[in-house]
Amino acid sequence: MSPIMRFILRRVGFLFLTFIVFMLIIFALPRAIPGNPLSTLLSQLFQQAQANPELIKAVYKRLMDEFGVGKPVHIQFIDFISRTLRGDLGTSIAFYPRKVGEIVAAYLPWSLGLLIPATLTSWIIGNSLGALAGYKRKSAVDNLMLPVFLTLSQTPYYWLAMILLYVFAVNLGVFPIGGAYSSGRIPSLTFEFIADVLSHYILPFLSIVLSAMGGWAIGMRVMVIYELGADYINYADSLGLPDRKLLRYVFKNSMLPQITGLALSFGTILGGSLITELVFNYPGTGYLLFRAISTLDYPLIQGVFILLISTLLLANLIVDFVYAYIDPRIRTGYLGE
Amino acid sequence: MVSQLIRDLLRIKKFDLSVAIFSSILIIGLVGPVVYEVDPVKMIGPPEQPPSEKYPLGTDSYGRDLLAQLLHGIRNSIYIGLTAAAISLAIGVTIGALSGYRGGVADSSLMLITDVVYALPSIMLMMLIAAYLKERNPIFVALVIGVTSWPWVARAVRSQMLSLKSRDFIYMSRMAGLSDIKIIFEDLIPNMASYIFMAFVLLMSGAMIAEAGLSMIGLGVTRGVSLGIILYWAQLLESVRRGIWWWFIPPGACLVALATSLLLLSTALDEYFSPRLRGG
Repeated sequence: MSPIMRFILRRVGFLFLTFIVFMLIIFALPRAIPGNPLSTLLSQLFQQAQANPELIKAVYKRLMDEFGVGKPVHIQFIDFISRTLRGDLGTSIAFYPRKVGEIVAAYLPWSLGLLIPATLTSWIIGNSLGALAGYKRKSAVDNLMLPVFLTLSQTPYYWLAMILLYVFAVNLGVFPIGGAYSSGRIPSLTFEFIADVLSHYILPFLSIVLSAMGGWAIGMRVMVIYELGADYINYADSLGLPDRKLLRYVFKNSMLPQITGLALSFGTILGGSLITELVFNYPGTGYLLFRAISTLDYPLIQGVFILLISTLLLANLIVDFVYAYIDPRIRTGYLGE
Repeated sequence: MVSQLIRDLLRIKKFDLSVAIFSSILIIGLVGPVVYEVDPVKMIGPPEQPPSEKYPLGTDSYGRDLLAQLLHGIRNSIYIGLTAAAISLAIGVTIGALSGYRGGVADSSLMLITDVVYALPSIMLMMLIAAYLKERNPIFVALVIGVTSWPWVARAVRSQMLSLKSRDFIYMSRMAGLSDIKIIFEDLIPNMASYIFMAFVLLMSGAMIAEAGLSMIGLGVTRGVSLGIILYWAQLLESVRRGIWWWFIPPGACLVALATSLLLLSTALDEYFSPRLRGG
């Protein structure tokens, strides 16, 4: 087996294990937490049964069935996993009788459309600026940029979002005050509609890019400083290699950890952008999650998390492929152990 | 030795600045509620008043005093941050130290657990756990943040451990017949003190930001105020779109100042302890 294949297979195994552990957590929480939230919900529904007997009874029966109440726990878990793997995420309570999977599917594209371009843009800009600051260490550029990076990296996305919304939409009126497109418009592939979507897109996009950028820049700056002091650079420098070539070495070596970092920080960025959606009333999964939480719609909460985590693990796998392709140590089997 | 260390640290500008910012906000949070005796959750005046002499930071939509909320919020956010960081640190250091010191099967299984938890974004795990808690007091929120934020600490402590444990003085302790636990807690961990302190500082800033995030999505403390809870109310009642800037700007600014000062502090310590970053 080629070293790359071995690496990828190991990662697939690991990510699958992570998925199963995550499912175990999701499965265990409603059943293990004191006060048993699930039974509270069920008894609440049961009490409401007088008001609208037919509907409530149907919801109640469906919940009992989906949570497998009364069956042995291990059977419940196996049922849960096999249903999830078949794509059945259960039925929503608040939106009864719609299926969770179908509801989330309507919101997920908006989130991903915001998240993926914003993450990549912040990664590229942050790393470039960080490398520049590291290279020009202790210069005016570095002294100016570092405090900005430090502050940005600690600024919650949604707070920056509130500021941007207040300044650019509420005060200056340059951008719309929220949503993904103007109300009343019907989604279509016309130029007008796309322009409308873009004008709603810029502020949420910017707030994620700006606040995620700081962390990348700080990481890259430190990495470049370390690499610039490394023996191989001193040696190459003493041989009289041109600066451009040295920089390319430094950049390449500093890049690898940042690619691993990309996989690890998807989750944090996702968490931040979910809340940013709330600020902009952006119809993504964050908005859906907020509604599910405020109505205690547990099947929907579970479903949102399962889909988000699956997406994240998939993104991790893609990063692994890129990493395996770029890192010469994996190509040659040096890291194979 | 300690006084020499403090004197050296005080010479670093970043260190002074960060300590100055953090401790002044901390003091405001500790002393403020005692001096400014206004109930943060009671209606005390007309709603949505801009800052004035009577209401220094204005009032919110329920006519509650925003300065009082901010002072109590700072106190609670720091309290949650400290508690959560202590919990994460305890878990992370224990797992990392055991794993690095023992090696073998213990190491591989502990690191597998760590990696699995690390691959799951902590903010998601927090939301997931918090969603099932009906009553969320500050300790619960700190606990939820604490038990999900430790993996990077465990990894970092483990790698420090690996490099420390082959030093001579550890062999001496082992030859003297000291138990593993004794060696870990009396020889190894004290030698990582500076490192562990830096981890604590970073955990704390992360925890305060996480608290705000949980609050924003509707999973913060159920009673009382925190910086995140003020932002949550501000968001819920559309303060941004209605131009009530005095509601959402101060709590966010305090949060950013607290978190940034802590990050700056850890950067200063990092530069002090690792010569490569310090050297000109």
